[in-house]
Amino acid sequence: MPDQSQELSLLETLDHLLDRGVVIAGEAVISIGDVDLLYLGLNIVLANVDALIRTTERR
Amino acid sequence: MRAVVIGVHLRREDIEPVAEAIPLGELFLSGAAVADDQPLGDRELLLRVAQMRARLLERATFIAIRYGFAVRSSGEAMAKCAPQIERWRRLLAQHRDDVEMTLKVAAASSQPRPERKDFSSGADYLRALHDVTRATVVEPRFREAASRMGNCRWIHRDDRSLECALLVRRDGVDRVRAAGEQLKRDFPDVPFLLSGPWPLEVFADDDHQ
Repeated sequence: MPDQSQELSLLETLDHLLDRGVVIAGEAVISIGDVDLLYLGLNIVLANVDALIRTTERR
Repeated sequence: MRAVVIGVHLRREDIEPVAEAIPLGELFLSGAAVADDQPLGDRELLLRVAQMRARLLERATFIAIRYGFAVRSSGEAMAKCAPQIERWRRLLAQHRDDVEMTLKVAAASSQPRPERKDFSSGADYLRALHDVTRATVVEPRFREAASRMGNCRWIHRDDRSLECALLVRRDGVDRVRAAGEQLKRDFPDVPFLLSGPWPLEVFADDDHQ
């Protein structure tokens, strides 16, 4: 059974994979919605909305 | 067959044999091969890509592409990424020896999240959510101390925490970890998590400049 630090490390890794880095225009990660990592799924939506609003504010 | 794109790299040898190298002008994309009928939301695929990403970073610094971007050919990649290539090439050359580290800090104070039912418009609700996120603050002395750890960018991610993305020389990772330990001693009441190294994520993103 993984210890807490391993789980935390995995969570951080997945968080970075899903919520960081360059977003290629027009490529939303809609298909990730099926992943049963609900926290991460929710995070994606919020992050993209947030990025969308930031982009709108710059214009 | 298609490839989930992991990152943008300066050299082919930075990628192979860990991942598939997809030419992109002077640069290369790293990709993880995925069968056409395999959903990108597959948990095993997600974990495989996360592991490949870590192994790629051990070899050389690259610009991370957010999970979910998939291409079938170099031509398709070129069509979608062409406007970015020159900027990416410049960033990769400039930050060849740099990685990012992340300091995630619990908020000292935050506003209550808005209730969807209080808004008639979805856009207004999302804007209110964004405003709440932007209003999140961390303890000022902690923020000051963390900012001294290196070249940093503070990012509002949600209503409970802030993140400090640090751009760090590869040979400076241990120094930053030691500085993190010192922060724990100096601010025992401020919960935070220092993680990394990561590829170029925040420092390659226009939104965070």
